[in-house]
Amino acid sequence: MRVMALLRRLVKEYLVLVMLIVLIVITMIAEPKFFTPANLTNIMRQFGPLSLVALGMTFVVFAGFIDLSIPGMLSLVTVVTVSLIDPLGQVPALMIGLGLGIVMGLLNSFVVLSCGALTLAEALFITYGMSTLYGALALIVTGGTTPHMSWIKADISLYQAVGKGSLGPISISFLIFLGCLLVLYIFQSRTRMGRTVMLTGGNKEAAFLAGVPVKKSIVFIFTICGLMTALAAVVLFSRVTTASPVSGLNYETNALLAVVVGGTPIKGGRGSVLRTVLGVFLVTLMSNCLNLLGASPYMQVILKGIILVIAIWLDNRKEISSGGKI
Amino acid sequence: MSGTKNGAALSSRGVLGVSLEKGFRLATKQTAFAAIAAMFVIMIFSGTNFYSTYNLLDLLSSASILVILAFGVSFPVICGGCDLSIGGTLCISGIIAIRCVDFMPIPLAILTAILAGALVGFINGFFVVRQRTEPFIITLGMDMLLKGISQQVTDAHPITTGNPNFMMIANGDLFGIPNLVLIMILVLALTHFLMRYTQFGRNCYAIGGDYDVAMYSGIPVVKNKWLAFVICGAIAAFAGVLLSSRLNAGSSTYGQTTALVVNCGVVIGGTSFAGGIGSIPQSGIGILVFAVLENCLNMLGIDAYIQQIFKGLVIAAIIWVDCFARKRKREAV
Repeated sequence: MRVMALLRRLVKEYLVLVMLIVLIVITMIAEPKFFTPANLTNIMRQFGPLSLVALGMTFVVFAGFIDLSIPGMLSLVTVVTVSLIDPLGQVPALMIGLGLGIVMGLLNSFVVLSCGALTLAEALFITYGMSTLYGALALIVTGGTTPHMSWIKADISLYQAVGKGSLGPISISFLIFLGCLLVLYIFQSRTRMGRTVMLTGGNKEAAFLAGVPVKKSIVFIFTICGLMTALAAVVLFSRVTTASPVSGLNYETNALLAVVVGGTPIKGGRGSVLRTVLGVFLVTLMSNCLNLLGASPYMQVILKGIILVIAIWLDNRKEISSGGKI
Repeated sequence: MSGTKNGAALSSRGVLGVSLEKGFRLATKQTAFAAIAAMFVIMIFSGTNFYSTYNLLDLLSSASILVILAFGVSFPVICGGCDLSIGGTLCISGIIAIRCVDFMPIPLAILTAILAGALVGFINGFFVVRQRTEPFIITLGMDMLLKGISQQVTDAHPITTGNPNFMMIANGDLFGIPNLVLIMILVLALTHFLMRYTQFGRNCYAIGGDYDVAMYSGIPVVKNKWLAFVICGAIAAFAGVLLSSRLNAGSSTYGQTTALVVNCGVVIGGTSFAGGIGSIPQSGIGILVFAVLENCLNMLGIDAYIQQIFKGLVIAAIIWVDCFARKRKREAV
């Protein structure tokens, strides 16, 4: 009896985790190759860019916003960094790439704040416009072509390490992700700024009247999102070794889905980066498992859609039954 | 003496300030319309064929499918929701229509596609209205699902039909006016009437304004909002039929960015995502901003990538101005 109650609570609280375990168990039984080292490394690699973008997006969602400028930022950082490796060397190019992410994040927050866009929808479409802008700049930088890493004459050992290297059994890109997760988790749970972001998301007006630095936290979250997107761009082009000016396409929706499936409500004010990790795990493992089980790529999109819709729906039911205000 | 001078200067500045403020308020009330008007004025001096009947009709007919989608999306948006699954609905209804015309009469095929779209809207409505999920995210998931189904049934290839009459729906014209433009005007009249002069339409505004108040006032909120989603799905499906008829092909690659563009256009037109504000013609004007901008830039021979910069700037600028006006209003109160 108590086991049943415990199980029910577990399903209610950690639905995504349960789905994840079920998925892994099914795949393990059907396809023993799942737990081979090669596949696990593969999963770690696939984890890279999306997880970083999703971590950045999590903070934006905490504060009750959605940042749609991710595709543009990702593409622009990618092409700018790659085109700067030859003239400047790999480390300055990396620094400029990450700096560019921060600058774009600051610019987003500046545009959002300067017109007082406090609702989700206003900021949503402003960032959508910014994304179009950044994306166009990316296309102009490369003239529409896709530069390849092998064209670069300068030393690119750093990017090769990020793309292919591993420390023991763990790939470098996964280590970057773990590092970011640790920093952001501490930031979210142990610092005053982290709590400020949550309060901002809960109720902006109330937070402002209570003396919470709402503007500062908005600047902060967009900057974090920009920086994480820039980092994701570096990890992405290091792995695929090309710098497509449209490489960021669809990252915003996938990141958002990972965040929400993980259980961070889109209204903001609650959630955790750890939940986002679960969401990313589910999305990534799902494609890996479906690949192993031999599902066609089209079928995979369908199943992904179905599982996402169900996960969002069930998560929402949980919120209603626990008495949350809709 | 100097005092009166000062006073006069002050008051004249005040008058100027007030008139500027009035002009600003008028412009911000319909930013999208002002943007279109500005582009039309600029094009007078461009010395291009912008004002030829051919170009203007072409502009309208190429924008018409997006405009029709915007009419549909306005329903859930005015009810305080939104629909991002229209891209997927567009794909799948086009594919259904193309598949169906091979073995059934064209009107029946169109009806089938529209019913499929209405079904999608019904499912969206179930999740959003009955289950009270966040419309933004659930319709995004639905979009992914529909794209997957479209890929599966077409094997990711564009499909086409041997029936030449199907193509004529969107490519034909009546007295020199393209069918698409006529259909757009028809849908505009229908949806505007529905929104403006029927009980259902007025209820939509009430629901978007304040859901709880509408509920306590005895408005059948669930039924109404649900119906809004169904209408949106049906209209999106109709737009999908027109698109596949225009291109004489159904493909799973249609509508990749449609959902965001259309929702953005609706917001640019002045229909608020908070619900309860806006109208069907306004949404159409919002989409026309994109169409007119693109046409102008093409006429001026501007590079495609630079065009995209302009597009981004215009989106950000119009929403910025609208937000700023609202902020001023908030602060004035």
